[in-house]
Amino acid sequence: MQKRTYVLLSLAFLLVFSAVGAVLHMGGHQAMAKEKHKKTLVMGTSADYAPYEYIDTTKGNKIIGFDVDVAKHIADKLGYNLVIKDMDFNGLVPALDSKRVDFVMAGMTPNAERKKKVDFSSTYYQAKQLVVTDDPKIKTIEDLKGKTIGVQLGSIQEKEAKKIADKVDKVHIEKRNKVPDLVQEIMSKRFDGAVIEDGVAIEYLNKNSDLRAFEIPDSATAGSAVALQKGSGLTADFNQQIAMMKKNGELDKIADKWFEPKSKKKAEKKSIVDFSTIMPSVPYILKGILTTLKFVVVSILLGFVLGTVLSLFKISKVRVLRWGADAYTSIFRGTPLILQLLIIYNATPQLTGYKIEPFLAGVLTFGLNSAAYVSEIIRAGINGVDKGQREASMALGVSYGSMMRQIILPQALKNILPALMNEFITLTKESAIIAVIGTTDIMRRAQIVGADTYRYFEPLITAGIIYYVMVMALTVLGRMLERRMSRGD
Amino acid sequence: MIKIENLHKTFGKNEVLKGISTQIGQGEVVAIIGPSGSGKSTFLRCINMLEEPTDGKILFKDQEVTAQASKIQQVRKKIGMVFQHFHLFPHMTVMDNLTYAPVTVNKVSKREAEAGARELLKRVGLADKEAEYPGRLSGGQKQRVAIARALAMSPEVMLFDEPTSALDPEMVKEVLDVMKSLAQSGMTMAIVTHEMGFAKEVADRVLFLDDGVLVEDAVPAEFFAQPKTERAKSFLEKVL
Ligand SMILES: Nc1ncnc2c1ncn2[C@@H]1O[C@H](COP(=O)(O)OP(=O)(O)OP(=O)(O)O)[C@@H](O)[C@H]1O
Ligand SMILES: [Mg+2]
Repeated sequence: MQKRTYVLLSLAFLLVFSAVGAVLHMGGHQAMAKEKHKKTLVMGTSADYAPYEYIDTTKGNKIIGFDVDVAKHIADKLGYNLVIKDMDFNGLVPALDSKRVDFVMAGMTPNAERKKKVDFSSTYYQAKQLVVTDDPKIKTIEDLKGKTIGVQLGSIQEKEAKKIADKVDKVHIEKRNKVPDLVQEIMSKRFDGAVIEDGVAIEYLNKNSDLRAFEIPDSATAGSAVALQKGSGLTADFNQQIAMMKKNGELDKIADKWFEPKSKKKAEKKSIVDFSTIMPSVPYILKGILTTLKFVVVSILLGFVLGTVLSLFKISKVRVLRWGADAYTSIFRGTPLILQLLIIYNATPQLTGYKIEPFLAGVLTFGLNSAAYVSEIIRAGINGVDKGQREASMALGVSYGSMMRQIILPQALKNILPALMNEFITLTKESAIIAVIGTTDIMRRAQIVGADTYRYFEPLITAGIIYYVMVMALTVLGRMLERRMSRGD
Repeated sequence: MIKIENLHKTFGKNEVLKGISTQIGQGEVVAIIGPSGSGKSTFLRCINMLEEPTDGKILFKDQEVTAQASKIQQVRKKIGMVFQHFHLFPHMTVMDNLTYAPVTVNKVSKREAEAGARELLKRVGLADKEAEYPGRLSGGQKQRVAIARALAMSPEVMLFDEPTSALDPEMVKEVLDVMKSLAQSGMTMAIVTHEMGFAKEVADRVLFLDDGVLVEDAVPAEFFAQPKTERAKSFLEKVL
């Protein structure tokens, strides 16, 4: 391999890295456009809970929703500019605790555990539980006899559904991880209905004229309140503003805007495939490319470095190293990738208390997994290099390290490049799995848009095209490298 | 310069060298001949520890090579080796093949190494090939580059394992000529070869190996004219 190839490779990596760096700088928090006031309040939220707070995929990255409007109103009245920080729901209380945000509005319910760490304002919204269904014959909970209803796993709604099952015969309860999944199951007729909180259900009712809903009598009403830093002087101000908004009807006005069903348009006959409905959301999906790219590049690098080390272990004379590397490979090749991902993501906090970020968990899993495959590829490549090369190096007095780096590996690399490229392509495609732990990569964004628009085919096809183009680019890059490397012969 | 005492080498259950003792003096050219499988290559490769002897001692300038496995690189850089199949580094130019070891092992400056390499390429008649990759050279040219590569480390001994066996007949001479002039320059050499004419002309001594045993050790004129053993006689009848 010539110097120019190395230069080309490093240039390519540099480009990708700087792009990634730029993106890392961009994301994070969102400042309100105009700086009306002198002081600023930072609000923490988790923008995946429409209509309380969510990202409108048709309009870029802006966080909107009921909570956001209420927060803006209060901040304005108190004389502050509002800055919103988006983070994982589980990270909100710790963020308050460590004073990284001034207050949190995220449809959060005060409970004893949270009260130990933060203060709560008075509640500003009472939620009701609804049964959402597409079956016009289901009008009361008694009509659910013999039906299947869905709930979000581990939610208040799950308890509510169990109460229904106690009262009504043969109600079958199914659990899903996310609310959009519940609605999707109703649409595909696998569920007859689902128990969903009113504020959340309203989104779906607005968008889908086939859905209707009724309130569950005596359903537990969980109130949302503003969480503030322990002992914060702001708590009294917030309480005062909430009381004022309740009195002057401002709160109802905002609630109407977000929670009232819009007058349903008569269901127009939609064409089976219609890309125009998702066009505004395409840029949102495209932004996932950078997440996916960053993920893939870091994983590949980690996998390559670790894989090289492992392959050296595999050909070493030390038995323990050989055995260890073989066992490692055997385990990572012998178990499903998604299982490895979920173990690292979910079990790390349980075992160590460290709340591992989805991105880090993903990169670790894919890097470790890929290393197993890469080590096999490199080992085969090293074994494929003529034994004479090793002997000639040894006879010249070259050390093992220099021999590996400058004589054996460069030649092995040429043999293994096609297989290595294949591994990188597989990794790029399989990276879609990280959507399950909520990383907003291409796949996840396509799913979000699907849930938003009730159109699944178009966003998924869009994602498919993006993946295909990426894989083709890798393929072409691989061919170019191969051609370059074979110049020496 | 090299002293070999009771050298044994076993592969698994196969005893390939069965106790060989001999020495090679400063400036001496020794030809090693014998039937296929008799252990000639193994013998040669034990000298620079490419094969680890099962038993016996090898001394290089009174240093015991076999005893200091850790310092073997220090010994190897003073013993050049040329292989039947060249083993040039295919991903490097001829120039890089020659300068690689001097720069990485002997820490010679790149500039000095290149000057030395040009000198050597001139000596083996390949001054115009320094920018070429090995893949584009003929067999004879490759072997001459391989000799130059070994010489670039300024070795005190050169080992050759059938350096012309893989070559087309018309290229044998160019390689043998290089070796001849090397011998005349006073280099200590051990050469495994099937070129009896070359052995007769250039070697100071002939070692005849058969079945892992050093059967004869004589000056060429004597060995080729009147071999002492039946084994050597029947071998010579076959090859001459
Ligand atoms: N690495 C090895 N492992 C096992 N057996 C070996 C190994 N190297 C050589 N041998 C065996 O040792 C014996 C001697 O081999 P060696 O290569 O030294 O013979 P040779 O005299 O050089 O023969 P040739 O003229 O064919 O090159 C042969 O029987 C061979 O099969
Ligand atoms: Mg041999």
